[in-house]
Amino acid sequence: MTAEDNKLQELLRKNHPTPALPPQFQQNVWRRIEGAKVPANPASWLDAIAELILRPRFAVAAAGILLLAGISAGMLEGRQLVRNDAQMNYLASVVPHALR
Amino acid sequence: MNRSLVILIGALALGAAIFAGSFFTARHTTMICCEQPADDLNWLRLEFHLSDTEMAHLREMHEGYLPQCGELCQKIAEAKRALAAIQTGATNLTSEIQAKQNELAALRAQCQSNMVAHFVAVSQAMPPEQGQRYLAEMKRLTLGTNELMEQSMSGDTGHEHHH
Repeated sequence: MTAEDNKLQELLRKNHPTPALPPQFQQNVWRRIEGAKVPANPASWLDAIAELILRPRFAVAAAGILLLAGISAGMLEGRQLVRNDAQMNYLASVVPHALR
Repeated sequence: MNRSLVILIGALALGAAIFAGSFFTARHTTMICCEQPADDLNWLRLEFHLSDTEMAHLREMHEGYLPQCGELCQKIAEAKRALAAIQTGATNLTSEIQAKQNELAALRAQCQSNMVAHFVAVSQAMPPEQGQRYLAEMKRLTLGTNELMEQSMSGDTGHEHHH
């Protein structure tokens, strides 16, 4: 680095003034930090849930899960009903009316 | 009303409708698909996963049991009719009525005994594990009700009370 460069740097530093901070800058920063720590009220939770529901990815995933759960439960229930009917038919054929 | 609350309620209702719709549709479809032709022994095939050979053997036993059972049921029906006839207008428990009641009870006992013997024979014709399960299930379904009634009448709940 040459002597001219040093001079130029010195000149630039002098001509680049540091702006003065506004009054009570530090207090205001801390106040905003404290404000951010305050827990959200219930209304904001509801808003957050509503916002989540309205996201297309979430809505499609939830609908898909519910659809699959409904189909699985329905198939299990259907099989059980068929089995129960078959059991009743068998019982009706082997257990005499006189003993029922 | 709050917009977020409306969205939440709407989403819950839509979710419930999706679940219920898919549940009932799947149940109905499964029932139609799995429905077998009217066969009394279909339950044995479904529940105990029996082979065609085992099913053929059981069918033979089943068809052999039905006429015996029908014959006894006929006798029971006749005894009931006779008992009803002699009870008509009777105000006392005559020896004739008692004799008919005993006859009816004996026929019912024989019928039950034949039924249990058939269950035992069927269970022995199945693979051992399935046979045990079948016998336990049939006893529960046919004799279990009587046992419950007897227990409730005798006050024996099957639990011991230590004082």
